[in-house]
Amino acid sequence: MPDEPEAAAPAGEAGLSKNEQKRRAKQEAQAKAKAEKAAAKAAADAAKPKPAAAAAAQEEEEEEQDPTKYFENRLTFVNGVKEKGANPYPHKFQTSMQLPDYVAKYESIGSGEMSADGGVGLAGRIATKRAGGKGRLVFFDVVGDGAKVQVFASADKFSDYAGLEKDEKAARFSALMSTLKRGDIVGVRGTPGKTKRGELSLFPTEMTLLTPCLHMLPKVPPGSSGLADKETRYRQRYLDLIMNPTTRSTFITRTRAINFLRRFLDMHGFLEVETPMMNAIPGGATARPFITKHNDLNLDMYMRIAPELYLKMLVVGGLDRAHATAVHGRLFTAGGVASRHNPEFTTCEFYWAYADYEDPTPPPHTRTHCSPTRTGPHVECRGVSSHSLLCTGPDQVHGRAPLADGAAHTGDDTSATRPRHGLCAEHGVECKPPLTTYRLLDKLVGEFLESQCLHPTFITDHPKIMSPLAKDHRSKPGLTERFELFANYHEMCNAYTELNDPVEQRARFAAQATWRRKAAGDDEAMFVDDGFITAPGPALEYGLPPTAGWGMGIDRLCMLLTDNESIKEVLLFPAMRPVGMAADFNPDCQ
Amino acid sequence: MLLLRTLLPAAVSSRCCRLVPPLAALASASPADAAAAQGEVVRELKAAAERDEAAIKAAVERLLALKAQLPAPAQAVAAGGHTPYAYSFAPTHSSAAFAEAFDSLSPGAEDASAEVALCGRVMTKRSFGKLAFFTVQDGEGTFQLYLDKKRLGAAFRPFLDATDGGGFGGVKRTDKGELSVLATLLTKALRPLPDKWKGLADVNKRYRQRYLDMIVNPRVRATFAARARITAYLRRYLDERGFLEIETPCLNAQPGGAEAKPFETYHNALGLDLTLRIATELYLKRLVIGGVERVYELGRIFRNEGISTRHNPEFTSIELYQAYADYEAHDRPPGELVAGAARHVAGGTSVEYQGASIDLAPPWRRVTMAELELCEPELVQPTFVLDHPTEERFELFAVGRELANAFSELTDPVDQRARFEAQAAKKAAGDEEACGVDEDFLTALEHGMPPTGGLGIGIDRLVMLLTDSPSIKDVIAFPLLRPEGQPAPKE
Repeated sequence: MPDEPEAAAPAGEAGLSKNEQKRRAKQEAQAKAKAEKAAAKAAADAAKPKPAAAAAAQEEEEEEQDPTKYFENRLTFVNGVKEKGANPYPHKFQTSMQLPDYVAKYESIGSGEMSADGGVGLAGRIATKRAGGKGRLVFFDVVGDGAKVQVFASADKFSDYAGLEKDEKAARFSALMSTLKRGDIVGVRGTPGKTKRGELSLFPTEMTLLTPCLHMLPKVPPGSSGLADKETRYRQRYLDLIMNPTTRSTFITRTRAINFLRRFLDMHGFLEVETPMMNAIPGGATARPFITKHNDLNLDMYMRIAPELYLKMLVVGGLDRAHATAVHGRLFTAGGVASRHNPEFTTCEFYWAYADYEDPTPPPHTRTHCSPTRTGPHVECRGVSSHSLLCTGPDQVHGRAPLADGAAHTGDDTSATRPRHGLCAEHGVECKPPLTTYRLLDKLVGEFLESQCLHPTFITDHPKIMSPLAKDHRSKPGLTERFELFANYHEMCNAYTELNDPVEQRARFAAQATWRRKAAGDDEAMFVDDGFITAPGPALEYGLPPTAGWGMGIDRLCMLLTDNESIKEVLLFPAMRPVGMAADFNPDCQ
Repeated sequence: MLLLRTLLPAAVSSRCCRLVPPLAALASASPADAAAAQGEVVRELKAAAERDEAAIKAAVERLLALKAQLPAPAQAVAAGGHTPYAYSFAPTHSSAAFAEAFDSLSPGAEDASAEVALCGRVMTKRSFGKLAFFTVQDGEGTFQLYLDKKRLGAAFRPFLDATDGGGFGGVKRTDKGELSVLATLLTKALRPLPDKWKGLADVNKRYRQRYLDMIVNPRVRATFAARARITAYLRRYLDERGFLEIETPCLNAQPGGAEAKPFETYHNALGLDLTLRIATELYLKRLVIGGVERVYELGRIFRNEGISTRHNPEFTSIELYQAYADYEAHDRPPGELVAGAARHVAGGTSVEYQGASIDLAPPWRRVTMAELELCEPELVQPTFVLDHPTEERFELFAVGRELANAFSELTDPVDQRARFEAQAAKKAAGDEEACGVDEDFLTALEHGMPPTGGLGIGIDRLVMLLTDSPSIKDVIAFPLLRPEGQPAPKE
């Protein structure tokens, strides 16, 4: 092996010196052209611009054209190719490797040296294009899969032009180069090498336009790091991905986080299952469902707001450990679009027979090992750089402080609502009607407990009225066995010892239905009274073993892991208000 | 001495047993009358369960009324009693691990040093005066419980009374002082299980109450385990080759990517009509345009079509796109994905499907549309059908069904617009399966999509093939069914 580089070296050097000479000559010419151009400019209209400068000027002019004109020009060009019987959209370009692999393989080449490998094929999108060397040189930055490679195109290297007269060569090269625009997808074949300045490049013998970009790519204003306009970024995510490398890394982090969760659960014997996303009856959470209709069966159906009830049915059926993650954990609510809410969102839920709600709570020292990304457990968020949110041992907050006696009255009669109402008034906590105990408690919890939860914090043992599917606490009357995990003030996880007494479950649903009727207008009260017990079959009455259930919002997790404040940043295609909807309509305020 | 054997007539016994009969504990809590009445109603409920839904409802109503008079679980526990719904149980062994660990015991022998805790659902209960045998089932199989009055003493009868088929129990052997077996009821079942042999012949009941199907038919569980392993295999194959798994919206402003009738819905807050996706294609292509060169989504697709043994309105597909590949390149992935999945779950590429022997080992037969005189149902062995009119495309058929479908993706926005417009014309003429012109996608395509190969595989059909399941309903845990009482339309 040690012999190989040495054996290759002479050829490389031979090629190199020739190249170097040429390059130097070209660079001199380029510098000269620049100087001349400057001189020409200085001399105002006296001197005519050189060909290279003319080409560059033409490019600039095109770039400055209005978008419609640019589009029309490109379309005309594409149609022209078609009329000649050629295909502007070839089916295939054989690449040797992807760009990141190219960078990894050849970045060790020395400055000004060439690799012995020839005929290396790469393909990608042109991010920048610059002319030089009196029009005989063109430099492209080609990007693909998160990496960038410079393409150093020189007429002399193109194999098709071998043996042509100098002028003919230059004319053909110039014609080809003028068809390659910023934004186009190109295939390039040639020799890897580095410029004298140390820039890893590909020196092509062949360049093929694979797909023309018919639109001008957005221009990045000087001083800005990428495409900033959020409307464009969310609505045309592909532009965001092309222009902003951080967007790509956000979604790679998301995929890795989900892969970690899935692998972790698989490793612990949880079976990944798929349950219906359209249900004849909604249930299992408090939210407003989407409604659709199955024509053939003439059946109204609801997009699920929770996978919970079906997953519990599978535990009844003997799947002692079942999980639904990411694509199988998609949920839908027809509520508003806001920075923390999207009509469809992603969860991970698991159900674990014979366990209770203490079991899915890992001891603090193991938690630091659970970080799902390669970036390690240190996460920066909201500029709190010195805190590593996932590293800190979770604190336990017992949900009593301003809610003292909360357990005593959890009905929805006046004796239960009045003290909460009083607390809200006393502390200036605003709660819109209907003033049900659930809503008042929810506001109070948000004000007094969630507001303390920057670091991962468990809020435990919620009042029964807030948790219709959680089991009565084994030692604290009026409370349930439940925890919520908060981090960065957002709810991340929610877990119960599952209520498995069908009679108690029916009583809770019935009570909720009553409150809902009383509170007419509380859209968030659970939609059904006894769906779990009657409609999909009386599953609970056949016996659900003691079971712990655990759910996590994957979007929120990804927001935390990628330091993003808006859910739109972690969804590839977030829901947007329709283009043209009244400008004063602000979905974030819904 | 303790005798432990599983799956054999002789099973668990002990010299001295402490039993904690939960209903007895309830009965000792005040008010006793309510608990006694509850026990009676539960027995009544069981008797009524198979014959009369109205009687069940009435019984449950009475239980609800009685509940108010019973102590809350927290109070019952505080009083030293138990609830019929325990909070947790920590088994030391599954039934399979238990069988393996004690397999070496010879008939009649006992392992006095063993400390075991098992749990599961009581499937059968046979009582012969002073002896009782329970068959208990967990996720991995069954074990037998051998209860001997001589060893259990006074606890024998209350435990038998408290349990019956269907409930969950935990069995724990402790050695605090005296050797003992501790049997605890974990969850009381209010309804009896269907008869193992004839109760679930009713196909509709199997699908409507899948949990009962899973309890009495072990094969059902195996099918869903295989399904999970198949998707895990597909993911691993693609992840190892640099494909990024992503999620795209199910709610679309307009349908596209296939010809199918969509489900329609409405977003209240935005006042927006939406459709459920009929394919993942157009969003995935936007990502290829954005530079994600190898991308896939395994996800739910919705089509507003009738139900049959091959169609469920929501189903799962995997679509993958690879830049700079054409459909020839995809000869490898479909072959490797399908044959690899078969090796992974069926142990080889030769599978039996409904009596036919199928060999999934690539290379597969290739025919062009022009050569093809057979119709779909006759394509039993895996076959690539190439070059559909106007498109570079192949379809993979096996057992008479389309299993996968691949394209050299159309990258020319002008041609794409013309095809969209042809679709829109069909739609305007009343074709409910045709889509309109998706301007948003055309704008994306105008920004340039590299030459790309695309492949789609129907997960449900692949699982059907590899688990020898005749109907799609056998591989979907909760298939959509005609509402009870609604007659099927005439053929």
